[in-house]
Amino acid sequence: MTSSYLLSWTTFIYLGAAALYLIHWVFRVQKVGVLATFTTVAGFVLQTAGIILRWMESYKLGYGHAPLSNLYESLVFFSWLTILVYLVIEWKIKQRVIGAFATPFASLAMAYASFSPRVEDTIQPLIPALQSNWLIAHVITCFLGYASFAVACGLGIIYLIKPKSGKSTGLLGMLPDHRVLDDLMHQTIIFGFLWLTIGIITGAVWANQAWGTYWSWDPKETWSLITWFVYATALHARFIKGWRGKKIAILSIVGFVSVMFTYFGVNFLLSGLHSYGSG
Amino acid sequence: MGKKNNSKSNPIWDFITSVKLAVFLLLTLAATSIIGTVIPQGEPLQRYLEHYGPTWFKIIKGLHLYDTYNSWWFLSLLGLFALNLIACTIRRIPYTIKLWRRDSLDFTVDRLLKFRLKKQWKLPPDTDSTLLEKIKQVFQKEAGRISASKEVDGGNLYLVERGKWSYWGLYGLHASILIVLLGAVIGSMTGFKGNLMLHEGEASDHVIDRKSGEPQPLGFQIRCDKFTVSFYDTGAPKEFRSDVTILENGQEKLKAPLRVNSPVNYKGITFYQASYQPIPEAELTLTTPDGKETTVILPAFQKVELPEFNLILGLYQYLPEVHGVPAVRVWIEDGNSPARTIWVLKGSPKEFHSGSNTFRIALKQVKNKYMTGLQVKKDPGIWIVWLGFFLMIAGFVVVFWVPHRRLYLWIGEKDGQKTIILAGQSNKNKIHFEKDFEKVAQAIEKSLEE
Repeated sequence: MTSSYLLSWTTFIYLGAAALYLIHWVFRVQKVGVLATFTTVAGFVLQTAGIILRWMESYKLGYGHAPLSNLYESLVFFSWLTILVYLVIEWKIKQRVIGAFATPFASLAMAYASFSPRVEDTIQPLIPALQSNWLIAHVITCFLGYASFAVACGLGIIYLIKPKSGKSTGLLGMLPDHRVLDDLMHQTIIFGFLWLTIGIITGAVWANQAWGTYWSWDPKETWSLITWFVYATALHARFIKGWRGKKIAILSIVGFVSVMFTYFGVNFLLSGLHSYGSG
Repeated sequence: MGKKNNSKSNPIWDFITSVKLAVFLLLTLAATSIIGTVIPQGEPLQRYLEHYGPTWFKIIKGLHLYDTYNSWWFLSLLGLFALNLIACTIRRIPYTIKLWRRDSLDFTVDRLLKFRLKKQWKLPPDTDSTLLEKIKQVFQKEAGRISASKEVDGGNLYLVERGKWSYWGLYGLHASILIVLLGAVIGSMTGFKGNLMLHEGEASDHVIDRKSGEPQPLGFQIRCDKFTVSFYDTGAPKEFRSDVTILENGQEKLKAPLRVNSPVNYKGITFYQASYQPIPEAELTLTTPDGKETTVILPAFQKVELPEFNLILGLYQYLPEVHGVPAVRVWIEDGNSPARTIWVLKGSPKEFHSGSNTFRIALKQVKNKYMTGLQVKKDPGIWIVWLGFFLMIAGFVVVFWVPHRRLYLWIGEKDGQKTIILAGQSNKNKIHFEKDFEKVAQAIEKSLEE
């Protein structure tokens, strides 16, 4: 059994978890909610095993590198981190409704990684430019940022669909309180922003070591900076203009569109130094 | 940041220090940065004319969109951004000083009761003072060491305060951006970036400046002793490596391997492995008219003189595979007839005439020699940039995760009744603070029940 076969299964497990979270939300069956969490954790364990197996496989092939080196591996890692960030939030706020919005992101990422013909899932050796310990630091920090922004985007969507005068009767009434959502969204954005900042910095330090320039305005770098500007705007608007709730929710969604463009759009539509990320 | 001294306000200063301008600049920088990712940068101007047509070409040329991030208007935006950052900081300093100097004990009981987080216990009149002392101990145990206390409204006000200094983190964070920009400016003004191509065995005391195209002296020599490239079995490159020697006044100072991701630094100048070019070198056997065989080595880009035969030979072209064997096109000059070329395939010797003499030439082998491509950089500002990065992360952690939190305990008599008031305030991470507050409140509650 290969790691990519194992990992492709998590697509369906997370999809199942999403369905269970949805049923739990719509029909309010507590037991289904517990089952949803259980399914998500099971998927997470399987995915972790898949990532470790892939790491071992790369050693067997004689390449020996952490599974963070191409688009397939980054998608798996993105999905894994999204689930991790979500599980932490579920554990912290003791509510499961957000799961119906977070697990689909993870399932989609895995589906794209496993079944898109554009994404190559074989283990490739590291070309000289990628042979650096900065690779691991850079990818982990960037993707911690991306995953947090994915969760913040999910929270933004929940915020917008929840009616303002939320009497806890209807389906939407079960969603967490606006104040909790707003605070959670803010915290998640701050968390993501810190990791994006560190991700850009580790990238700069690495680029300086590999090419002798810490910043070269390559499209991926530039788009990460654009994303950084968007979230910086969201934070300043909140601190100084007192923006709350709806406006921040919209910025959180806009920011995530920029994240997605940094992640995929640059690889497929523009060219630059990060082109190996598209293989 | 409110408008405090309206009487002294100056419209230009107000504009430069406004957060509106800051948000406008952030969004404008974001929007204009997109341009350079959509239009390819740094191509020859002719390409833009061919690709975009004359109308767009005028705009691209006029606004320097072929080199967006170095254009006058983009650099002005960055300059304005830096100016706005400095101005906002200066404008905010008095406000921070006020926050920092504010006396945390300057509270009345009524104001404590207006906190969002508060709890009040009315005690029976016969409560003895040991219980009150115990409450104070419990408060101290749960909330932390008491940082100050004061008599307020006839009772005692105790304060546990943490992280007041965190108001200054903001300045560290914002200064870090200016420090990074400063490092970049110093680097570009006092350093250089250049390219260097070296044959194996060749040394150079200068590089070609990437911007001006002029030679840039190094102050020492660098020699490429050997270049090696290795591949994985998939055909992907595994390692590019130049073994280099640094020479100063003819003396070898440093010998080091230069690989991608592991540059070599000497006297503030750093060399990076960037590219390579295979350079063929043909080894031929020349059979002279008298039947003697000589080995002739023909490197690329060089003519080889053979005065004893009155011949000049050169490697004109090389194909790694023709009908399954390597082939070279040899350039022949002999002073009699015009220069000509002949193809020699390995295993098929050729004959040629020079005057009345007949030579036979056979290809023994073609070796790949290499030319290594290095990027060379001097950047005295780099440590300032690194310092800025470090400060940015540290400042960020302080600004977002170090709260200024105050927990108050008041023990005294209110409306003729012995009263305990617990109140608290935190400027960040309020949900977490609420939990901590609840914990303290419950501990007090518990010891009151006993």
